[in-house]
Amino acid sequence: MSLVWKLLRQHISIAQFAGFFFANLFGMFILLLGLQFYNDVKPLFSQEDGFLKPEYLIVSKRISGVSILGSGESYGFSQKDIEDITSQPFCKSVGAFTASQYRVVCSLGVQGVAQMGTDMFFESVPDRFVDTDLSQWTFHPEDGVIPIVLPRSYLAIYNFGFAQSQSLPKISEGIIGMIDMVVVLRGNGQEQRLKGKVIGFSSRLNTILVPESFIRWSNARFAPEADLTPNRVIVEVKNPTDDAIVKYMNEHNLELEDDKLDAGKATYFLRVVTVLVMCIGLLISILSFYILMLSIYLLVQKNTEKLRNLLLIGYSPVRVSLPYQLLTIGMNAVVLVFSFIILFMVRGYYMNTLWVMFPQMQEGSLTAALGLGLCLFAVVSLINIVAVRNRVMNIWNRKE
Amino acid sequence: MDKIALQNTLPCVFEGRDVQSEIWLQDVTFQKGQTYLVEASSGTGKSSLCSYIIGYRKDYLGTILFDGKDIRQHSVSDWTSVRKNSLSLLFQELRLFPELTAMENVQIKNGLTGFKGRKEIEAWFERLGIADKTDAKVGRMSFGQQQRVAMIRALVQPFDFLMVDEPISHLDDVNSAIMCDIMMEEARRQGAGVIVTSIGKHMDMSYDKTFRL
Repeated sequence: MSLVWKLLRQHISIAQFAGFFFANLFGMFILLLGLQFYNDVKPLFSQEDGFLKPEYLIVSKRISGVSILGSGESYGFSQKDIEDITSQPFCKSVGAFTASQYRVVCSLGVQGVAQMGTDMFFESVPDRFVDTDLSQWTFHPEDGVIPIVLPRSYLAIYNFGFAQSQSLPKISEGIIGMIDMVVVLRGNGQEQRLKGKVIGFSSRLNTILVPESFIRWSNARFAPEADLTPNRVIVEVKNPTDDAIVKYMNEHNLELEDDKLDAGKATYFLRVVTVLVMCIGLLISILSFYILMLSIYLLVQKNTEKLRNLLLIGYSPVRVSLPYQLLTIGMNAVVLVFSFIILFMVRGYYMNTLWVMFPQMQEGSLTAALGLGLCLFAVVSLINIVAVRNRVMNIWNRKE
Repeated sequence: MDKIALQNTLPCVFEGRDVQSEIWLQDVTFQKGQTYLVEASSGTGKSSLCSYIIGYRKDYLGTILFDGKDIRQHSVSDWTSVRKNSLSLLFQELRLFPELTAMENVQIKNGLTGFKGRKEIEAWFERLGIADKTDAKVGRMSFGQQQRVAMIRALVQPFDFLMVDEPISHLDDVNSAIMCDIMMEEARRQGAGVIVTSIGKHMDMSYDKTFRL
């Protein structure tokens, strides 16, 4: 083999192969990075909300400029409003948000050290709308522990606004148990200290959610005479994409509180950009593949006489094709390995940045990018093998 | 392979011409173990004959048979096997690799079957007077020296027929005689048939049959 290789490596152009190598490396890397980045970032856009099913919509009345000035219009949902929504064909059931009607002061701390305190409020929805383990979602006055679901944006406010400026540790959703929450309830001439326990975050709820049993107990105790007209309702619909919902909302001056649509848009653009980037990568790969094919053709052309003589003294076409086939496969393999290495390096870099921004982020799978790389390698190598073999057979058949 | 038969064979380019030949358009059989001389004038298709038999060209009319099998039916692997194990050709244009040394040129062929040991090959170099050239690039050798390398290369394989196309055109009588001896020793050892072509100067030895092409 070594003598055949010594013969056939004549006229190999280092410049041409280096050109192919870098072009293909670049193309392959862009292609793989596009796919990997998409897979890594996608979960951020399509995170499932653990506490609210997609078919639950939160509805409030639209606040217009005129009504702020006090036209007497109510923002609350009357019993009649709720019945009207319930009677709509798209609606399965309706639940009211019930707000706390007394004063709540809450202080947050991490591992026993109080960090910040604030006035706040609680709201609840009927328990059947909360998609979590109901054994966690109950309140017993004798335990004194309130399960709480916070809006996910609060975590971001803490991590970026507060923790950053106060040099406090950042908190991820995974270590939420470290947060100590002391809640003081005041009203009706009484005061009580309770412990809050954050059991999760929701991106769809713009409120601090507690169990219905707690709101009922606390309102009865601290604000027995308050008006409980809900400002928001939660609606279970049959199909969240139903046009009738939007139509009804507009007709009745209602508003949907939902970021689903925005996330959908962002995912769409992410997909467009990813596809675009991957197309560019693929284009570069195809062009570099073209360079390789031209180089191989040129090489075979320049060595036609040697190849012919080898065939005439008894070498088989398979045997004389082999060195060039191995050469191309080797080059493709090196390109593949290098693109994986660069991919891992770049990914490590951007994942660190992303983790700082989104500590709860889950890592996307590498399988797709690795699979794509291997597929591309296999396809390109296969085409190379066939092309070299065809060229050699042309020499055999005296077409060259 | 015991027989090479030509039946009514004629190069396509000669079609329609008045051909006077003891090979073209005749029934000719070369037998294993026999020695043949094909004498030719320029332009009578001597190299074409060699190209047809080695399977390099197919532009002929009629039929060529190896042991009764039409060689037009030979597959790629049939030909590879024939060239490796049954038929050795010393090309008139030698077809050596100028980038390789004389020894490498022989070894690249010997490597296919591992037929000869290095000692034996070196002995041939010695006898042919080119022992000092074993490591010289063939491209830098004279045509006469290259002819001797090509002969050694033709011998380092098993064969039933050895076909040599003007093997001594650039050799003196002494070297011609040595080359002839080596060739016939090896052919006899393998019990092979030998077909020598020539357009004038030919190897001085006894032939079983001579054809005028």
